[in-house]
Amino acid sequence: MKNANVLILTDDSEFGRLLSSCWHAERQAPSIAVLNSSLWKAQDAEAFDLVVLGPVGEANLSKILSSLNPGVAVILCAPADFREMQQLRSRYPRLLHVPLRDDWTQTLVLVAGESLRRVRAGRQAKQAISRAAQSEREAVLGRYMAEMKHSVNNALTSILGNAELLLLEPGQLSAQSLHQIKTMHSMTLRINEIMQRFSSLSSEMREAENASQAETEDLPESLSTRP
Amino acid sequence: MAADVHFSTVEYSGDFFVLLKKVLIVDDSPAQVKLMQGLLDPEGYQSFGLNDPLRVEETIATLHPSVILLDVVMPDRNGFQVCRELKGSAEFQSIPVILVTSKDTASDKYWGEQQGADAYVTKPFTREELLRAVRRFA
Repeated sequence: MKNANVLILTDDSEFGRLLSSCWHAERQAPSIAVLNSSLWKAQDAEAFDLVVLGPVGEANLSKILSSLNPGVAVILCAPADFREMQQLRSRYPRLLHVPLRDDWTQTLVLVAGESLRRVRAGRQAKQAISRAAQSEREAVLGRYMAEMKHSVNNALTSILGNAELLLLEPGQLSAQSLHQIKTMHSMTLRINEIMQRFSSLSSEMREAENASQAETEDLPESLSTRP
Repeated sequence: MAADVHFSTVEYSGDFFVLLKKVLIVDDSPAQVKLMQGLLDPEGYQSFGLNDPLRVEETIATLHPSVILLDVVMPDRNGFQVCRELKGSAEFQSIPVILVTSKDTASDKYWGEQQGADAYVTKPFTREELLRAVRRFA
């Protein structure tokens, strides 16, 4: 709630003032902006987690509702007998209605709190999905590298072995060739060392993953054995 | 060991007889076989290459090698299978098997031991590493 952004859209300045002061009396208040409906621009909504619609002109109300992104939570504060509510609900299923009764500010603060929590949960879920997709892409790359290790090792065997075969008879090589082959030999050993580090890192990560999986699997059992 | 008696050939080389110990190299890659032969032959071994792991038993039966260098990742029959079947056979179980493979994890080595392999050499190997492993048995 603390980092949430709320927009109060109303043509009734008293509505905006009352709601803002009521919210600020709460322990954790969101950042609140109050705007007259005539100044509304659709792109503004993207900066807000929640839009509270107070009394606005009927023509502006439909214009605002149709321009809102479906991901934005919207609470409409309207009289309990607001005739168009049924129709609006069918067009905007996520629209919440807080009837303007005596205690409407308290009800609205409660409903808004829940809406903001839902928005935050939705955002966290989206981030988790995005992170999971990223991890999956990295895992595919890791698996590919692990599979390629076999081919790389085979290629290294050929380079290393043939370099050693040439070095068996150094007398047949010029000083420059000898130096070049020795370089190839030592660089191949270096690549092998790098591959081994990669291999040990890969097995360490696998062990960590297994340990974490085992912990997760053990959890319900340990909980169920509690007296 | 029996391998010394049965699995060597005596060749006349000019003024003297040379005892050549036979090494069977099983690897589906002809380049790898050629390479290992190039490393072993100058050291007094008589090496034979085999690219088809399905023909290991029949080759051993005619060749009587002192030691077998066996690749693991091969089509049709992998080195673990070949090793397990050789070590389970009364006829061939006494022949030392050295697994020569690019599979270098601890679990690969453990699994190789479980199949009865006598030694494990990981690719890429140096000439010394290969010779050290072969010299243990031949």
